[in-house]
Amino acid sequence: MAHGSKSGRGLTFYLLTIFFVLFILFLYGPMIAIFILSFQGETGGMTFPMRGVSTHWFNDLFASTRYGDLAGSFKRSIMLGAIAMLITVVVSFFAGLAFRRRFFGSGPVFYLAIISLVMPGILVSLGIGQMFQTMGIRPHWLVSGLGAHLSWTLPFGLLIMFAVLNRFDSSWEEAARDAGASPIGVLRYVTLPILYPGLIAVALFGLTLSYDEFPRSLLAVGTKNTLPIHIATLTSNVTTPALYAIGTLTTALSLGLIVLAFGAIGASQRRHKK
Amino acid sequence: MSKPGEILLDKVTKKFGAITAVDSVDQVIEGGSYCCMIGPSGCGKSTLLRMIAGHETLSSGRILIGGNDVTTMRTGERGTALMFQDYALFPHLNLANNVGFSLKIHGVGKAERQERALEMLERVQLAQFANRMPSELSGGQRQRVALARALIMNPQVLLLDEPLSALDEFLRLKMRVELKRLQDDLGITFIHVTHTQPEAIALADKVIVMDHGIIEQAAHPRVIYDQPHSPYIARFMGGQNVVTGTVIKAGSERIVAEAADGAKFDFATKREVAVGEAIRFSVRRDKIHVVPRAEQDINAMQGEVANVEYQGTFVKVGLNTRQDDEFIIYMDDRAYFENPLNVGDSVISEWLAEDVCHLLGENNSSGD
Amino acid sequence: MNKTIISWLQVLPMATILIAFVGIPLATVVSLSFWTFDGLEYYPDFTFENYTKVFSSWVTWKIFFNTIRYAVITWAIALVIGFTVSYYLVFHVRNLKIQIALFLLCTIPFWTSTVIRMISWIPFLGREGLFNNALMSAGFVDQPLEFLLFSDFAVILTYVNLFTLFMIVPIFNAMVKINPNVIEAALDAGASQIQILWNVIIPLTRTGIALGTIFVMTLVMGDFFIVRVMSGGQSTSVVSAMKNNIDQLFYPQAAAMAVLLIAVVVFMVSAILRVVDVRAELAK
Repeated sequence: MAHGSKSGRGLTFYLLTIFFVLFILFLYGPMIAIFILSFQGETGGMTFPMRGVSTHWFNDLFASTRYGDLAGSFKRSIMLGAIAMLITVVVSFFAGLAFRRRFFGSGPVFYLAIISLVMPGILVSLGIGQMFQTMGIRPHWLVSGLGAHLSWTLPFGLLIMFAVLNRFDSSWEEAARDAGASPIGVLRYVTLPILYPGLIAVALFGLTLSYDEFPRSLLAVGTKNTLPIHIATLTSNVTTPALYAIGTLTTALSLGLIVLAFGAIGASQRRHKK
Repeated sequence: MSKPGEILLDKVTKKFGAITAVDSVDQVIEGGSYCCMIGPSGCGKSTLLRMIAGHETLSSGRILIGGNDVTTMRTGERGTALMFQDYALFPHLNLANNVGFSLKIHGVGKAERQERALEMLERVQLAQFANRMPSELSGGQRQRVALARALIMNPQVLLLDEPLSALDEFLRLKMRVELKRLQDDLGITFIHVTHTQPEAIALADKVIVMDHGIIEQAAHPRVIYDQPHSPYIARFMGGQNVVTGTVIKAGSERIVAEAADGAKFDFATKREVAVGEAIRFSVRRDKIHVVPRAEQDINAMQGEVANVEYQGTFVKVGLNTRQDDEFIIYMDDRAYFENPLNVGDSVISEWLAEDVCHLLGENNSSGD
Repeated sequence: MNKTIISWLQVLPMATILIAFVGIPLATVVSLSFWTFDGLEYYPDFTFENYTKVFSSWVTWKIFFNTIRYAVITWAIALVIGFTVSYYLVFHVRNLKIQIALFLLCTIPFWTSTVIRMISWIPFLGREGLFNNALMSAGFVDQPLEFLLFSDFAVILTYVNLFTLFMIVPIFNAMVKINPNVIEAALDAGASQIQILWNVIIPLTRTGIALGTIFVMTLVMGDFFIVRVMSGGQSTSVVSAMKNNIDQLFYPQAAAMAVLLIAVVVFMVSAILRVVDVRAELAK
């Protein structure tokens, strides 16, 4: 096992391979199933068999009013995602730099981030909604909603920065200072370019976690829904493959973002090598 | 007027909380000299180097470079350049851009930057790799790039933090010669921190031996090696037997001391001592001879062979004495093998008075 | 400038946002749990009544028990799967590129919607779902199995499907950091594969297991949506009961339950953090 370089492929290897393949099927099977079912024929239902193949249910999403303000909630989610991403990248970046050394107050901030990570989302949501009510401010998706999303994306951003900075040698910054660079110069010419792939990872987390966030926004977005909340409400009253069509579209978007992010990281690393 | 590149340390002190890493160090390092700072880890040598570079602030004291007070001056503006222990080459820049980094920071245009970086890479024989990334280089090549990057701004002082420690033995000896040649060519001050004694002795015009945040001795390597200031220096630099004895005869500039086993030592001193006083002194291991019969009862010792180690160019013979330190003789290999010794043999050894040095300093630590 | 001041300035935005949107809101929930509710509205008037109501109801205890049962079962399954998958990737996949690719394959669903992934199980588990069709056409059963959808089975299956990757990532990260020489040394000492697993690999992946445990436990305990949909409304967890209270505007009572849940979560997480210093391990 451990040092596979010497031993041959034993029985354990094949058993574990089968286990792994089954796990991957378990992980992706359902997603693939709804992807196929979203192309269900017009007369088909929510389960197999397929009754023809069509894009009917996709068209229906855009044509019918049955699905509520789908476009609006989508727009809001994208906008929230973009803003949350930007804030997450900038705020986690600087916090990560600070956390490289222990300083007075670093412990409490770290534990607050951990608490935010492990708290049931709906509690945070309830608290934010109630806090706004107490202050006499109406919850709004761009204010309280954004805050709810940040309570979820920032702790992840911080943890990724920890991992990224593990491989960052602070003598690079010293070398830049030694060359006469100002604090801003160090940041611009050394810290940021070296950490760039890590920051893309933070951005990917910020964007997708916000885009898919559901329990924390539930009681904090006010009257206008985000897409995941909208989809959640649709699950109880839409009983057609249109639900799967929404799933296919939003999953495709997420996957597209992942491919884009990994592409950017890969490109920057190739640049480093060559 | 002080020469360019002269460094003056004036009561330089660095405290980290309750720990004093560098304790009120005074020293002048001549411009254009090669200075090695050596000592066990934690002795303060690296901290002192980093304070000269401007990467650590002083708790108190002053640093002058070429007559200018740079104590509070920013790093990068004091005419120093630091070569980092692990080189700290920028992983995202190719060699030309690594070497030209300082020029970029100082607003030099792209074309000139490239040209001067190439020139510098030429100097370290790496011009053909200008477009490679640091990750594609070997350890020795990285070391040379780091050197080129440090030298690009024509510093008055080059600071080297254990520059050879990451290299294997063969490369280390080769680069040692290169460093010395480069310093001769450039004529600027080199301050080189190391923990390897032969490196310091081979390279330096001046060796600074540190311990516990203070300078124990600063002098030409020959002085350090031949006339160590304290038992610590004698042990740390090696090649000396440290002996404790009691003064039995105190004359002007000359004394006789007796060790615990009764051996008598007669040697010169620069300090007044009184009869009965306990003192320490050292005897050069390579100047001790094994003889069939002692000529006199002074500057000679009888002992039992405890161990024998062949070292290639000489043979190291350890004698049992009643001292804490072993009494070691470096015997000429030919002479030894004409008359080999066995563990347990009783031998008589002998040396000259001029090979004994009275250790004036108090520091008696073992140096590790 | 003083280094501490620079650190403070750097961490200030993070601290401000977290205090504003986590610290104060949670404090608000705690204070809300002491408000008075008269059946129509709630107002700030200190009372323990919400707690007495919550504590005295045997339903509360049942719900808590049920939630913890879900959490423990899901955790155990996720741990076995997560450990096995990580072990396979780290010690059996020799090519580094393939290893990274397979690891990413396990983590990609993390970046997609949990709501969608939950819905995905419906065509599988229903009366006319894929499982039942397959079982019936293979002749294993005559009648479609009823327990597949809208049951504890469906709830736990969905939990495992959604949350196992939270176990894989930290365990994998801990495992890849194990120095291969350590395992060679164990082999040298005559240890069998099982002994190496038990005495070397598991102790060295402790931090990963602890982090994964924190994630999986808190995710299950914080869920209300999956339990509601996948059990068809037949089963309740703490948070889904709380959500019912909120929907009926019984805010203070919901808050009291929330505080109880916070206490349980904080107790559990700090107990785990006490055993492993996560921050120190993260910095490795």
